[in-house]
Amino acid sequence: MTQSENGGPGSPSPAVPEPRAARDAPEDAPENDTENGRENSGGSAVADAVGQEARRDGSRRDPDPDSVRSLARRFAARADRAVVDGITKVTDRALGPYQTAIVRIGFSFTWLAFLLFEWPNRHELYGPDGPWSWELGRRLIESNHAFTVLLWSDSTVWFEVVYALAVLSSAALLVGWRTRTASVLFMIGVLSLQNRSVFMGDGGDNVIHLMAIYLVLTRCGRVWSLDARRARQRADGAGADPVGVALWALLGAALAVATVRGEVGWFGDDGPVPFVGWATVLWTLWAVHGLWWAVRSVPPAGVGTDGGTGGDTGGADRDTGTGGGTDRKADVRRLMDVLGNVVHNAALLVIMVEVCLIYATAGWYKIQGSRWQDGTAVYYPLHLDYFTPWPALSELLGGSGLMIMVLSYGTVIVQVAFPFTLFNRRVKNVLLAVMMLEHASIAVVLGLPFFSLAMIAADAVFLPTVFLVWLGGRTSRWAGRLRPRPRETADEGKPEEPDGAPDSARTLVG
Amino acid sequence: MALPPAARITVAIALGVVAVLVAVHLAAIFLHVAPTNTVSKRYGEAVEKYVYPEFEQNWKLFAPNPLQQNIAVHARAEVLKPDGTTERTGWVDLSAMDAEDIRGNPVPSHTDQNELRRAWDFFTGSHDAENRPTGLRGELSEEYLRRIVMLRFGPELNGGQVRRIQVRSATTPVAPPPWSGENIDTETTYRTLPWWAVDRSDVPEGT
Repeated sequence: MTQSENGGPGSPSPAVPEPRAARDAPEDAPENDTENGRENSGGSAVADAVGQEARRDGSRRDPDPDSVRSLARRFAARADRAVVDGITKVTDRALGPYQTAIVRIGFSFTWLAFLLFEWPNRHELYGPDGPWSWELGRRLIESNHAFTVLLWSDSTVWFEVVYALAVLSSAALLVGWRTRTASVLFMIGVLSLQNRSVFMGDGGDNVIHLMAIYLVLTRCGRVWSLDARRARQRADGAGADPVGVALWALLGAALAVATVRGEVGWFGDDGPVPFVGWATVLWTLWAVHGLWWAVRSVPPAGVGTDGGTGGDTGGADRDTGTGGGTDRKADVRRLMDVLGNVVHNAALLVIMVEVCLIYATAGWYKIQGSRWQDGTAVYYPLHLDYFTPWPALSELLGGSGLMIMVLSYGTVIVQVAFPFTLFNRRVKNVLLAVMMLEHASIAVVLGLPFFSLAMIAADAVFLPTVFLVWLGGRTSRWAGRLRPRPRETADEGKPEEPDGAPDSARTLVG
Repeated sequence: MALPPAARITVAIALGVVAVLVAVHLAAIFLHVAPTNTVSKRYGEAVEKYVYPEFEQNWKLFAPNPLQQNIAVHARAEVLKPDGTTERTGWVDLSAMDAEDIRGNPVPSHTDQNELRRAWDFFTGSHDAENRPTGLRGELSEEYLRRIVMLRFGPELNGGQVRRIQVRSATTPVAPPPWSGENIDTETTYRTLPWWAVDRSDVPEGT
């Protein structure tokens, strides 16, 4: 915990407010060189408080260092410190900014590409008069209470609107435009279409479904997003955002209509988890987003503030400029920032465990199969009519007994082993590359591009930060070569927005 | 500058609540994907209540064994000719139509890859061996299958109005690889459903 006080000149000192832009800029030197940001970052107000307690306990000197009491005390102090470090870590910042960003980009891209490729077939898949008719959908959902706005009306116009919104929200989430709002709309789009025609989906849809929900709870737009760029370009990290405000008001009105019409319930069975209805979920998200706007930083001109990343002295600076009321506002903002980090980190953990569960399930169940045991399993899918877009290629792969055997055993070994390799960075990265490669070949050989893309996007949560930062740098350099223009020009493209911003770069949940 | 005491308490409470929620969520998902066991037998109902509908998942991908047979869905129709006679069409291999669309296509559509295939799974999963529906899902799957067939046949076929249709599945085991030395009967077996009367309401709008 001492780092928080005497973070030397070399270490990033979060007590000094940095513009969010600087923290989040992808071209920055990586803040941390391991995937989960092992770098110690002190400065959290909460952790500070807890840390003082811990120090008080740990610094009591014992006359006899070898006594059992003293050992116990030292052990307790160490455990204390571990807890404090843990709390610091999960409250202080949103971990894995690049990982969450790549997951966001991966899934929104997959779903967007899917929606566009299926554009000609959209009526057959999800339309009111497709083979899985609106009436069939209604009867099934009456029994399972899945969420879909498509059942709110059986008109074709409504269907077209929802499909178009699903496309637009995917695109918005992909580029990180109003990321928080986009993530909620993305989830609504995914759930609405998939739940409407649940028998059209496969494993790929299933992963997208889960991740669409989890992503709402992550601060996934802090890097590689238009939100981050906007925050960066506006040096003070604030500014009016009429578009954001209008969007928020519009969605509030839409939600009000849906609530009044009784399409969404507050409690009971029709929510994502028992006893919590979708009205509760969506209104909460909406209210939290509004609260972020209410406590936005209104800096005096020219003073750099942190856009919500927990800069303490920054708050003090501001207060001198804007008077007493801001003090409480700054407190609330910092509290929300901490809560947002907690929720983000929890959701990130859930995403990671979810990926492990996918592989563990897929692997452990295979071990029990006779075909995986005798090493011929991979041969069979290569001979199923529904999964052979390239029969000659399948024939070629299926022609070698040794190859089939290696692929079959390799698949099982990798899937079963993966969760355990997370304890060893190097082995984990090798396996990650192998799995991504395997999914890429499944995309082609079995004709499952969207399933494979979704799985690769899920795997990406485990990519190392160094690699992601390198990738980001390469991509922006490549993009820069495509469209070379000085930064000033890019800035000019943005209309000036003089004061207070709803900070869309911030997460909806904090 | 530390957070005020009230805020610190809020954070502490939030940490506790979030930790519990994450633990509950992960435990539920784990019990949902794990094989039936001592714990899931006891809490199975609660787990189901939690997981369905939005967190349902199935990752037994090609497990424990990959599918080792090609299951094709065939259909034929009885059409009413303008002269008042009825005529029976031959069996049409609807899955072969899917396969044809998939072949050479880097991005096969869900309409080809999942629609009929999963509709048939849905049907067999919600019917007993005598093709009798078991509950609501059985009824839904019948109408779904009927509408898929009618989407492909259209209201008129072979110059007559489609009055009744019949569906069957043709299951052909994939021959084991030549090096395995196994011998499996690869003869096709059929499961033929009763004739179903159809009318305009069973015809989805063409796409």
